[in-house]
Amino acid sequence: VNAVGGTISVLVGTVLLRLTVTGIYQRYVRVGMGPWLAIAGAMVIVLGLSRLLRASRAPAPADQHSPGHDDQDGHEHGDRVGWLLLAPIAALLLVAPPALGSYGVDRGAAIDVRAGPSAFEPLPAGAEPVPMTLLEFNQRAYDRDGASLDSATVQLTGFVADDDMPFRLARYQIACCAVDAAPVVVLVVGTVGEPPPLDQWITVTGTFRSSDGEVPEVAATSVVEIPAPDDPYE
Amino acid sequence: MDDGDSRRRGRQDLGVGLVALVVVSAAIGRPVLEGLLDRPAVANWATVFVALSVQAMPFLVLGVGVSAVVAALVPAGFLPRVLPREPAVAVPVAAAAGVALPGCECGSVPIAGRLISQGAPPAAALAFLLSAPAINPVVLVATAVAFPGRPEVVLARFLASLLASIIVGLVWVGRGRDELLDRARRRTAPDGPPLTVLTATAQHDFLNAGGFLIVGAAIAATLQTAVPRDAVDTVADAGPLALLALAGLAVVMAICSEADAFVAASLTQFSLASRLTFMVVGPMVDVKLIALQAGTFGRDFALRFAPLTLAAAVGSSALVGWWLL
Repeated sequence: VNAVGGTISVLVGTVLLRLTVTGIYQRYVRVGMGPWLAIAGAMVIVLGLSRLLRASRAPAPADQHSPGHDDQDGHEHGDRVGWLLLAPIAALLLVAPPALGSYGVDRGAAIDVRAGPSAFEPLPAGAEPVPMTLLEFNQRAYDRDGASLDSATVQLTGFVADDDMPFRLARYQIACCAVDAAPVVVLVVGTVGEPPPLDQWITVTGTFRSSDGEVPEVAATSVVEIPAPDDPYE
Repeated sequence: MDDGDSRRRGRQDLGVGLVALVVVSAAIGRPVLEGLLDRPAVANWATVFVALSVQAMPFLVLGVGVSAVVAALVPAGFLPRVLPREPAVAVPVAAAAGVALPGCECGSVPIAGRLISQGAPPAAALAFLLSAPAINPVVLVATAVAFPGRPEVVLARFLASLLASIIVGLVWVGRGRDELLDRARRRTAPDGPPLTVLTATAQHDFLNAGGFLIVGAAIAATLQTAVPRDAVDTVADAGPLALLALAGLAVVMAICSEADAFVAASLTQFSLASRLTFMVVGPMVDVKLIALQAGTFGRDFALRFAPLTLAAAVGSSALVGWWLL
């Protein structure tokens, strides 16, 4: 059992390192966590290897005992439950679950734009599109009914959250990990025809359009389908 | 090689074989998994489950690391000697000491277990267990960032969390049953040189706490996927009911204490006092924490401790919220 525990630990550590190296971890936790995941992974690998080393060396250390006494101090118990660590590991090794998508957009608590900066500097009015997070667009739209956006061209990136017209563009804000994700949405107007497929990542270029609705609107001049970004959250 | 030794060896080989079997069968099951992930609800569940597990790992490693250092380097009998003998004094001291452990709730469970097995008064270790994830500098700074220009929220969170931890500790002094903690109390660190003790304890604690964390993550992911978060919105204006609704949401969501302030900040339809309850309850009682505590201290303990803590947390945040917010 000693060796199994060690093997499980090495597996867990390796998967954590792999998540960091491939950047896939960004689907689950905030970008700044990367180094910590790598350190944790390395430490778990060292722990697992040290256990494998001890297990391979006879005689058995003093904390091993015959099965009859196992449950007295919970060691066996602990090792058995350790098996469960293989569940997320198996999931990550085989098919890494995707970043959060349109499913949760209407289920999460909406982000509070009033918590942001209260007065924005106006954007330069010109043809050059300004890349902007959906959150900033929401905050600017809330601030004096979008006065700071005026007629400036902005570029918004997110995924498609509706499968009918007009569709909403959405992206999640995360503070720590996908568990605390809160969706931010913008309504895309001014396009014709079929919307892009649900959950397709797109970059929308357009201008702010004043409206009475709760969701701010962007009048799109172009909608370009893009591959999902490495960091899917804002 | 004697009989027991060969049996052990046989079980080790069996174990390694089983790990290989799991990996191979998972590989065969890959198309099935991929098909499942095409369903949005399943994908959502899987993402939340993996995110919770991955996010907790660094904190868990920190927790089992500190716990192992205590096991390896703090001599037996040292803690009872330095801690105040009078439990009524030891509890507030231990609760206030929570300030010194930067991390979240996943890390403090193994540490509290270790403190108990090293002879610290259980009530004091439990007060530390509750306060550390809520009142450490990292969490307080995160709270200040999430509520810009509202320092009273940070103060209220600090006071209410400290108060709740002390109340639970004192109740445990008076009415607690230390025999429920026998699993933690009787656990002794393995013999050997400090480095061996360090790695062996950390390794064991990691597997144990990690396994139970996975149970908690699976439950939390299921509840989050099944219960839409806006379901609680309907009671947002209902006063005390809103308080209880957000306490329940904190238990179900199981967010890391370093991130819960941001979620609380976004729940604008609720009063500040109910959002305070969310931030006080979350680090002390939630589904993954109950699973972790059940694994470290035993199920009987967890079943009594969780309701006691929930009541203390809701009570103190209602009191502090009414006073400060």
